[in-house]
Amino acid sequence: MKYNYENGKLTIYLEEELDISSCKIIRGVIDGYIMKYQPYELVLDLSGVKFMDSSGIGLIIGRYNLIKLLDSKMKVINASDNIKRIIELSNIKLECVQYE
Amino acid sequence: MSENYIKIESKSSIDNIAPIRICVATFLSSLNIHIDELMDVKTALSEAVTNAVDHAYDEESDSKIIVEAKIRDDEKIIITVKDFGKGIEDIPLAMTPMYTSKPENEHAGMGFTIMESFMDEVIVDSVIKNGTTITLTKDIRKKSTNKV
Repeated sequence: MKYNYENGKLTIYLEEELDISSCKIIRGVIDGYIMKYQPYELVLDLSGVKFMDSSGIGLIIGRYNLIKLLDSKMKVINASDNIKRIIELSNIKLECVQYE
Repeated sequence: MSENYIKIESKSSIDNIAPIRICVATFLSSLNIHIDELMDVKTALSEAVTNAVDHAYDEESDSKIIVEAKIRDDEKIIITVKDFGKGIEDIPLAMTPMYTSKPENEHAGMGFTIMESFMDEVIVDSVIKNGTTITLTKDIRKKSTNKV
């Protein structure tokens, strides 16, 4: 999993498959970066994600809640059409999801 | 009526969810199925297997799940996910969108919502202390373009 931190903006490039197994590991890693950098903005880039189920929704909601605690912003970008459909089924605050 | 099937018996382990998903998706890809429909089935299956692995058993030892995927007349997909665990006490509650019995694990509570949205029929059959069987069906007829 690659990441980039620049000028208060932390971008995480998620990859491959987001299911219960991978999310358990990934969320600890992302939270580590969030606590280390305390970014003004978190960007989850889903362009490398080939599969996602509701565990991915849990991952996004969990990071969103953490970022709100820091009074920062978050956005989700580059979701495939299949992943967008899953996100749209959930109540994720859609202002943070950008369809680029 | 022609029928083809595969049956996978697996230890109830989160490490086995991805292999089960890939195996069933590969089996179904022989069908004349739109890639989006295949993704729908794969996602719904992942939810059903995740439910079984995550909720059916308190301890991993000797726990197993059986996943069967059937293709009927090249136009109907029937998937059953069976566990022999504790069963679901309140099925309507479990199926309520955003409900999760494990909020501390960051579950979205969207499993059944995704299954119901992506499949044509979802049947939950559960007996306390005996296990749960989830049956997912999807009709794939009337698709003619954009084959896999």
